[in-house]
Amino acid sequence: VIPDDPELRAALEARSGVPSPDFAARLGASLRRRRPAPNIMPAIAAVVVLALCAATIGVLVYKRHLQPHQGGVASSPRLGSPTPSLGTPRPTASETPSPSELFMPTDVQLDPATHDVVWAYIPFDDALFRSIDQGGHWQQRSLPRIHGGRQPSISFVDANHGWFVNPGEPETQCNAASVAIWRTVDGAASWQQLKISGIDPEQCKENISFVDLNHGFLTAADPNRRPTIFRTSDGGRTWRKATLPDPPGFVSGDGGFTLRAGIVRKFAGVLLVEAAGMNSKTQKVDQYVFRSVDGGATWTYAATVPYDVETFAFVSATRWMQGASSETTDAGKTWHKFQSDYSDAAPVASTFVYADGQVGYATVRGDFHRTTDGGHHWVMPKTPWLLSG
Amino acid sequence: VSDDPSQILERAKAGDGQAFEELLTPVLEVGFRLAMTMLNDRGMAEDAVQEAALKAWRNLGRLRPGSPLRPWFLAVVANECRSARRTRWWRVLRFPEITTSQRPSRLDERIDLAAALESLPTRHLLPLTLYYHLDLPIAEVARVLRCSEGAARLRIHRALAAIRPAMALEVDS
Repeated sequence: VIPDDPELRAALEARSGVPSPDFAARLGASLRRRRPAPNIMPAIAAVVVLALCAATIGVLVYKRHLQPHQGGVASSPRLGSPTPSLGTPRPTASETPSPSELFMPTDVQLDPATHDVVWAYIPFDDALFRSIDQGGHWQQRSLPRIHGGRQPSISFVDANHGWFVNPGEPETQCNAASVAIWRTVDGAASWQQLKISGIDPEQCKENISFVDLNHGFLTAADPNRRPTIFRTSDGGRTWRKATLPDPPGFVSGDGGFTLRAGIVRKFAGVLLVEAAGMNSKTQKVDQYVFRSVDGGATWTYAATVPYDVETFAFVSATRWMQGASSETTDAGKTWHKFQSDYSDAAPVASTFVYADGQVGYATVRGDFHRTTDGGHHWVMPKTPWLLSG
Repeated sequence: VSDDPSQILERAKAGDGQAFEELLTPVLEVGFRLAMTMLNDRGMAEDAVQEAALKAWRNLGRLRPGSPLRPWFLAVVANECRSARRTRWWRVLRFPEITTSQRPSRLDERIDLAAALESLPTRHLLPLTLYYHLDLPIAEVARVLRCSEGAARLRIHRALAAIRPAMALEVDS
């Protein structure tokens, strides 16, 4: 017998809510518009397996029929004729990026690699796009084939070189989690999984960020310990770790009172990273910036940021933005309002990233916004992944 | 255009958005209430339900003919909520998980239910929400949890024990 519990019912009811008419209308409109692309990977895999099986059987039968008649030398021309290349290793990534119909993602990870090059990873459809003209045009690229795990992340340093991280499913409370890292050198036409060493199993692996071809960072965190930032100086093969210290007024503790680090950025030899977490004293989320001048071997507290973890972005070593409405130009000492025409109708916060002092991008619910004047004016170029774009 | 549910399902499977909307509308509110209760955040709940709706449509072919849509869709929503809760633990682990050592030592000690729900692991919050908030019959709870009815009852009991140690002791006694 399951006992009734009116108090529990009331507490659950207090958390609940009904969909707003606007949300229901938007969802209905998007459903009426078009069906999402079917997930055809299982079908493709089945076809490939069948084809390989058929080819294998065909070759075996062919060789068996040939054997009684062949006399060593005479057989070579026929055996040398084109047959299915069974001995050729198959790449783990699809060689040719194929277009696919995408449908209203709610999450797009943008990575501005250079002034002109920007990459977009859409976890919903496991799709990767590259633009070499600041989002004016997009080309779909391939991704490593992965199975399971938490949400992957990408990092590119130009139009060709990039990394893809697939964090493994974590143990309870992120006590431990594996990680796999792939690298591409040909603009995500193909990927090679790296043999990595030095990354501890402890903590959930989260954000990867490379600042050049060799130097990169991988953040890790859990609800009970201080966050870790692994660093590599050989393109991702070997890693060493450093721990973020507690900033003033923040004491890391069990049960979620810990920080999580974001993307590491490099400006003129100085590394900066933002980290946010629930403060056990104030019961509010606080946000901080840490800096490193020794390549990530040690990190020190740099500033406290007015909290808005979703919208914080580094523009330069000293100019940081909170969305498009607030900025600091003295590395967080003072903040002031910022005039911008950025707007979106989403009830959740946008994510902002800047390629340099002028070019930046924002995304929310799959939208793509671009600024080329440091955040004052924004436009919405069309994107291939957003149905309503 | 037929109103026969099986034909609507077939049209939806064939890519008819209006047909899928017809199927989805009756279960949208209950799916949203599940997401809200699990995530306690309207923006995140909207995202979860939207993703669930699209995934449900994409995978509609996996729904067996004659099977009810509601538990299947709720299972998809629950999966999305699980993923969303994993990504931001400071929303869900603001307070330490209730463990044996942290339970109130006296039965009459009042538990802050709201805080306890906030920190409750998904494996416990989901069965409680399905049973106590959405009022689903135990058979449907079992379908959403993809387990037997007995296992579903057990999971509800365990979730109760995690959030209401006093009540669990009363039931046990």
